[in-house]
Amino acid sequence: MKKSVIFLLVSVFALLPLTYVFAEGQQEAAESEVVEFDFWTTQTQSDRQSTIQVLIDTYTTLYPNVKINLVPVDENDMVSNVQTGAMSGTLPAMIEGSADMHVSFGVEGIIDTDATMDVIEQVGKSNFYEGPLKMLESADGGSYYGVPYHGWIQGIWYRADWFEEAGLEPPTTWDAIAKAAKYFYKPDENQYGILVGTKAESYAEQCFTPFAMSNNAGLFDSDGNLIFNSPEMKEAVEFYGELAKYNPPGPQTWRARDYYLQGKMAMFFYSTYIMDDLALAEVAQGSLTSENFENLKGTSFDPDLVKNTRMAPIVSNDSDAGFGTVVSFTFLNQEDKRITEAASKFVAYLYTQNAYITWLHMAPGGMNPMIRGIAENARFQNDPKGIFKNYGPEKMAEIIDGLNNIESFGIVEGQVIEAASTVTAQQIIPKMLYSITQEGEDVDAAMAMAEEEMEKLLK
Amino acid sequence: MNNTRKQLDRAQRESILGWGLILPAATIIGLLVLYPIIYNIYLSFFDTSLSGNNTFIGLRNYENVLFDPEFWKAVWTTLIYVVFTTVGTTVFGLIVALVMNKEFPLRGLVRSLLLLPYVAPVISVVFAWKFIFDPVNGLFMDLTVEKLGIFTERFNLIGTPSAAIWVTIIFSIWRNFPFTYLMILSRLQAIDKNLYEAADIDGCGGWSKFRFITLPEVYFVVGSIVLLRVIWNFNKFEDIFLLADNVEVLSVYTYFKAFTGSMEMGQGSSLAVIQFVLLIGFIIYYVKKVLKW
Repeated sequence: MKKSVIFLLVSVFALLPLTYVFAEGQQEAAESEVVEFDFWTTQTQSDRQSTIQVLIDTYTTLYPNVKINLVPVDENDMVSNVQTGAMSGTLPAMIEGSADMHVSFGVEGIIDTDATMDVIEQVGKSNFYEGPLKMLESADGGSYYGVPYHGWIQGIWYRADWFEEAGLEPPTTWDAIAKAAKYFYKPDENQYGILVGTKAESYAEQCFTPFAMSNNAGLFDSDGNLIFNSPEMKEAVEFYGELAKYNPPGPQTWRARDYYLQGKMAMFFYSTYIMDDLALAEVAQGSLTSENFENLKGTSFDPDLVKNTRMAPIVSNDSDAGFGTVVSFTFLNQEDKRITEAASKFVAYLYTQNAYITWLHMAPGGMNPMIRGIAENARFQNDPKGIFKNYGPEKMAEIIDGLNNIESFGIVEGQVIEAASTVTAQQIIPKMLYSITQEGEDVDAAMAMAEEEMEKLLK
Repeated sequence: MNNTRKQLDRAQRESILGWGLILPAATIIGLLVLYPIIYNIYLSFFDTSLSGNNTFIGLRNYENVLFDPEFWKAVWTTLIYVVFTTVGTTVFGLIVALVMNKEFPLRGLVRSLLLLPYVAPVISVVFAWKFIFDPVNGLFMDLTVEKLGIFTERFNLIGTPSAAIWVTIIFSIWRNFPFTYLMILSRLQAIDKNLYEAADIDGCGGWSKFRFITLPEVYFVVGSIVLLRVIWNFNKFEDIFLLADNVEVLSVYTYFKAFTGSMEMGQGSSLAVIQFVLLIGFIIYYVKKVLKW
């Protein structure tokens, strides 16, 4: 990571004299007035911030009449921040976030779909993978609430060595998952079977969705009627509640993945972002291990963890289901059209090969390309941390292929159901799962309440 | 004649000076406090939308809030939180103040160390607590389950809904008692020693001295502190939200209502107005009955 940043910085400075000449010529032609806009990103980590800043600096060196302010916003705060921005008339020109969120903004009518279309046309519509682009399409078709930029898939990461030793099947079916979770749940030894989200946060819905989808349980039918309260859904909820019993104690969210890195857990739901942490011993070592805290019960960091970890990207029951998220750029309505225009030009620049690969290399495995021709690119495959080499090209191909087949509540038989994004944004399902697993609420009662909430939203 | 005119001028000048001095503060309060409050009340009668097309719906927001069982649950949680934290900080602060009023070696050092929980930034303190009470890696579970065997199994003290409210209460007492202690201590030091000497001569015991001298002397300080603590803790957000966001007191409930998912600003505003009315009602009653103003 650092090396690539330094390399980029050096190359930027090396190119500076050239760009000055170029820029001077440009400047004369361009308007002398500087266009300034805010860019909100969900990449809040400081190393990612600096990489994005390098891309911005490179761009603004080429186009000195543009000024871009990078603002990190936590994923869970993005919706509320955009909403307060809309109320106070201080919306940023562009944001980066999940496709679901962008669809819900689109429904609210605060997205400039002309600008997204503009970028899609510049990049070339046929260059995008269809699946991700579909997730951003408006219900009436034809316009898009965002442009897909990168994406991740989620699956169950598990200790293959433990499974082998115990003679258990890989956790790909409901039965295999439940059996393994129970088998490895040994609270007396401070070891837990599985991690599924039980805190009322997005992570819970991310873990739950593949169970619902693999049981053919959706939120809406293809005509947009609410069909949440179905026997299939109930079965999935009950199964999820059962799995949650083999969780570490109390409400849990993705942060508990540390327990896996410490060898205290057999399985956990996580995105391909974890490839980074698993492959990098130093990252994991920085967390709570008995090497750092001698008196804590548990094993020390295992350097063989990567080798012993596998991922099951699909959950199977009545059907197969995977889960993932497409992260996209979108443009929020601005009074000054020049601002949106400048932002869309910047986004088009981010799709150019070098900029794109630099961005994706911030989190190899976690950020996967959304346009064709990048995954096969030799420069892309040669990431600075060597993570792709570690996992091999086949695994990577599988991940990228998985991205094209993401299942979501928002697409039913090829129809985009916008209301599903609103339900997701309102976190109704996570709240329901929390009340069942943590407050001991009865499944029927909790589901009826969730249904009522959803109906209220749809009015 | 000339003289009166001059006096009038002075009075006018005084009043102009007065206005001049108060104006910056009044403007700031008007802009940053009054305007949002009034706008908030205004919003509470509307169904708000992001695109700015608000529709007037009269009292519907209030109706929705008042008929929502979740709201009453939040009121109840808030009451429990406010009562226990206020009683806790006051009693604990009083006891500590009484002890710190006695002479003992290194008293100065202990007095200043006691202020630490109050002055430490809330975010760092919250993370320290979360770290200590983590069910899998935390020191508390390690100590009570593994080392001492007090509990048979590990549990999530901060996360479990039934325990979380008590953890936030204890956290609040621990964090805020230094303020109470400081205020009471400064009052204690101002009590005339002669009163205690006279009581000694009359043969009063320790309890009688506390009951008939100390308590009446600190009554109004304690009364004011209780009022402040109620106001602060009734509106408390950050401590609770950071430590255990599943403890839905009114402020946290309002936050979730107004800001998660598609925002219901209208309902959020009506909640804030209701919270405001409840608090003002209490303050008026309290100031009249307890502080006897």
